[in-house]
Amino acid sequence: MFETILIANRGEIALRVIRTCRELGIRTVVAHSTADADSLAVRHADQAVQIGPPAARHSYLNAAALITAALQTGAEAVHPGYGFLSEDRDFAEMCAAYGLTFIGPPPSVLARLGDKAQARSAAVASGLPVLPGSTGALESGTEAKEAADEIGYPVIIKAVAGGGGRGMTVVREPRDFLRQYAHTRATAQAVFGDGRVYVEKYLEGARHIEVQVLADNHGNVVHLGARDCSVQRRRQKLIEETPPPALPASVVEAMGAGSVRSAAQLGYTGAGTYEFVVDEDHNFTFMEINCRIQVEHPVTEMVTGVDLVREQILAAAGHRLTLRQQDVRRTGVAIECRVNSEDPTRDFLPTAGTVHEFEPPAGPFVRVDTHGYPGMRISPHYDSLLAKVIVWAPERDQAIARMDRALQEFRVEGVSTTTRYLRDVLAHPLFAHAKHTTSLVDEIGGRTL
Amino acid sequence: MTDAEHLLAALTDHLVRLGRASTFPLTQVKIQAGDVALEVVWDPAGANGHAAAPVSAPAAVAPPEDPESTLPDGSFTVCAPTVGVLYAAPEPGAPPFVQLGDIVSEGQQLAILEAMKLMNPIDADRPGRVARILVPDAAPVEYGQALFVLEPC
Repeated sequence: MFETILIANRGEIALRVIRTCRELGIRTVVAHSTADADSLAVRHADQAVQIGPPAARHSYLNAAALITAALQTGAEAVHPGYGFLSEDRDFAEMCAAYGLTFIGPPPSVLARLGDKAQARSAAVASGLPVLPGSTGALESGTEAKEAADEIGYPVIIKAVAGGGGRGMTVVREPRDFLRQYAHTRATAQAVFGDGRVYVEKYLEGARHIEVQVLADNHGNVVHLGARDCSVQRRRQKLIEETPPPALPASVVEAMGAGSVRSAAQLGYTGAGTYEFVVDEDHNFTFMEINCRIQVEHPVTEMVTGVDLVREQILAAAGHRLTLRQQDVRRTGVAIECRVNSEDPTRDFLPTAGTVHEFEPPAGPFVRVDTHGYPGMRISPHYDSLLAKVIVWAPERDQAIARMDRALQEFRVEGVSTTTRYLRDVLAHPLFAHAKHTTSLVDEIGGRTL
Repeated sequence: MTDAEHLLAALTDHLVRLGRASTFPLTQVKIQAGDVALEVVWDPAGANGHAAAPVSAPAAVAPPEDPESTLPDGSFTVCAPTVGVLYAAPEPGAPPFVQLGDIVSEGQQLAILEAMKLMNPIDADRPGRVARILVPDAAPVEYGQALFVLEPC
């Protein structure tokens, strides 16, 4: 087992990883930017190393600085959290070259799955259903247009190197295609440094459902059920829950079994997520694989009792999974709401500033994963996630009522938050009756009801 | 002379003797006559041209929070541009790039900062006199950590 782990991340996930490390008796080192020198993660870690200025590309994305910090502090492993370098094949390779264990899948798997067109081919090879689409990256606008016409509109143009809900464009009219194609390519080139795109059928009014898998280095893979992440705004998830409401258990089992088969075939290791779209007839099709711990992982933890970060660390240390598929028991319902420091009345504009008051909710079956505290300064350099409120209850109705109560308790002064907006979504009849799809937030709009 | 004035004169004599005895310049003096107090602050990093002064000693003594306090206007700090290990000399056993009191020109190398086997030169971006060396040889440093204080000359 590792004695020291360097955490190459910030915010609530850095704190989340520190907590599990402490429970495992592992010393933690947090690498941080100057903007995060006063963060809770820095305060809770056994050691902190300042690695760069606020701009992520010079700190949290600076592989050389992170590895130097790891070597200087005697870390044997690096936990990349989510975002930043968590799915970066080059970083994983550099870690290996310097004798550090990257807590995640091997670089070869990251390389393959980081390319969305290749990931799609891999899914097809392992028998997972995919939506009609181009078989690989497209070379020209004409070729892409031909593919789109054949698939039938609406289609979605996706960046091969995309991720985190960015680098995608939905095209509904054939005449818009070439313009959107050029635009997506240019954006992909600018954001990901790779302009290649592919085209897929787009499902209107579908649900976003994902399967959590865990794999060790010895070929053992299990799944821990599915999460419904259909409440999204501009492809950023707002509310996640498990089990997916009103989805037959047999469908979840089929998705889970397919994901396990695919992960085993790919040689996947650690924690990973298979994302699917599910139509109203419960047909599921593969979208992509996220090679990291997910923001919404706590809902799975709440219903299974499995600490996913612990399993990630144990797997990276070469331990065999102690969990067999038949041991995975899921009980009750868990919901997560992402409370962001954004202003819903101003088109969800992120609000930076000082948090004067910060009173997170508590009480029975409420978990809050946050890096917030009174006096905290929210830097404009990073994402606006302030807290994840997670609740558990035996039934969904009770979980919704509990979440509403928790959000109502949450007091934040100094910056705007999305708590009020989240409560409105929870109260929406479509959500309450589990009839919602990824278009729910668009239907509600940005207004507070 | 009153008692207080006697005491003050005696304290001042003490102070002058202390100043002469010290190899380091005094940076702060506080004399109090009532109840007798004499407070003297040395600047250990300010010893002029003292080759014997160990480079590593000042790091423990210098106030890290404000390395430019008590220094002349126009003094400036050279900070670490990245996380790494600071080396004071071009190779082990060689004389250091600079010593306290040295006058350096713009662009002159002060140290090496090693990060992942890359040797990054740390240069003076302005001319000055080396007033403080804040980090001992071969010490790990963080991004933005103050390494040297240079004063105008």
